[in-house]
Amino acid sequence: MIAARKKSRVDKDFSTIFLAFFLILSCGVFMALKAETDSILRKKIPGSSIIYIPSGKYLKFVTFGYPSILADIIYVWAIQYYSDYNIPDRFKYLDHIFSIIFELDPHYLDPYDIGALIASYEANDLNLALKILDKGLENNPDQWFFPYTAGHYIQMKKKSQKLAQEYYKKTMEVKGAPDIVRRLYANSLYKAMDYQRALQAWLEIYQTATDDRIKKIASNHLYRAKATIDTQNIKEAVEKFKGKFGRNPMDLSQLVKAGFLSSLPKDLDGKDYLYDPKSGEVKAPTIPWKR
Amino acid sequence: MKIGAIALNTFKEAIRDRILYLLLFFAVVCIVFSRILALLTVGDRVKIIKDVGLSSLSLFGALMAILMGVGLVYKEIDKRTIHSLLVKPIHRYQFLLGKYFGLVLTLLVMLLAMSLIYLAVIFLHTFKIEWTMFIAIFFIFLELCLITSVALLFSCFSTPILSSLFSLAFYLIGHFSWGLETLIKKVKPGAGKTLAQLLYHFVPDLENFNFKMEIVQNLPIPAKIYLFSTLYGIFYTAFILALALLVFRKRDFI
Repeated sequence: MIAARKKSRVDKDFSTIFLAFFLILSCGVFMALKAETDSILRKKIPGSSIIYIPSGKYLKFVTFGYPSILADIIYVWAIQYYSDYNIPDRFKYLDHIFSIIFELDPHYLDPYDIGALIASYEANDLNLALKILDKGLENNPDQWFFPYTAGHYIQMKKKSQKLAQEYYKKTMEVKGAPDIVRRLYANSLYKAMDYQRALQAWLEIYQTATDDRIKKIASNHLYRAKATIDTQNIKEAVEKFKGKFGRNPMDLSQLVKAGFLSSLPKDLDGKDYLYDPKSGEVKAPTIPWKR
Repeated sequence: MKIGAIALNTFKEAIRDRILYLLLFFAVVCIVFSRILALLTVGDRVKIIKDVGLSSLSLFGALMAILMGVGLVYKEIDKRTIHSLLVKPIHRYQFLLGKYFGLVLTLLVMLLAMSLIYLAVIFLHTFKIEWTMFIAIFFIFLELCLITSVALLFSCFSTPILSSLFSLAFYLIGHFSWGLETLIKKVKPGAGKTLAQLLYHFVPDLENFNFKMEIVQNLPIPAKIYLFSTLYGIFYTAFILALALLVFRKRDFI
């Protein structure tokens, strides 16, 4: 009886050792196999499941009250997905993916910013970037950053000053927008060759500036805008003079005498404009930024 | 022999379970529903049917394995029928393996039934039998075997509700463990990275059994991966079963 019990205990101990050994062995084997399977390249179509993701509008209903956490997850995933340069057509569903995030959490600001950045610089799709930023402003009307970024992208990518102006104007209308936006707006007016409005805008900035540095910047821009308007007027008068007399005037005072100018304009510092009678060129006496 | 007898009894008991038929019903509904879903798409309709069908097989198969596996041992303990079983000349490993293989057999039958319906739905669209689908189905079966072993392990020491949650967590971890790879890439070399790498190799990677996309998209699959994935499934299942046996041996029923 005792011998049988002893044998049973020995058997149990032996099988326990065997089991422990088997556990370690199988664990080692499956870990090695895992490394082996990882080393085999499987052809994947990354992001192929994206097409099954429904619109955020419908997805919201199945989040059981946790749409923002789902938005976080999709956003984190999207960042990883768009950082993978091995997926050449990764931008195909950019609009769709970010729209889902915006629908799930319209007040999550980072995805608008990053989505627009990816669209503009990675996908080279400025219209999509603008669409994303427009959506950002629509959902968050108190965020000046969206139209501000849109204006910046347009100036950088499209070089359309008129459209940039519109966005800067929108930015200025948002409470809390930084002062620089007014200057960017005035500058875009100048670049769009709307000199009169640019002059007005810079004058307003100059008059309301409380900082000496800003006053100096505004003054230089004012100088440039005024000089551009004046030299344009003088050049037109020179052309008319040439048309009537068949030659350039000897000096600018002849333009006033001939009635092409009511008075001879002076630059913002009260200096005369430089005139070359041979070529008919008119220039400001000072470079604005060296005043 | 004893394992076979227990397995057969487990199978007979399992096929009488209503949960099994409820899940089978929903799986069939999903497979048939894929036809309606395909109507809403633009482009390749058959792809949608194949995708939804295979996913239904995998998902409902996993639910079957979990919901039935968690009660395998627990029910015997709860109803005290285990007492009358263990007094017989049956080793505990025979009891446990018998239970396991019984459920695996049930799942195999259910999977085959669902696969037949699935292939029939595809046949109605393409008028050909897609034999390659059986590769994906085989690996779904391997995945189910692993999940069953996990459910059995939890069934040895926990209640069915907790075991279901644990097994479901195992299933989810298994399908998202690849995310650790991204983490490893971002972690600076050191103890943290080594630990993450160790964890990455230890946690189950059920994506090793996921060939659905490759099969549906007709992508080339390296032959080696079939072998390694199969071996991975077998060894992981053996590891979990050994663990279950270790736990089960320590339990005192009297």
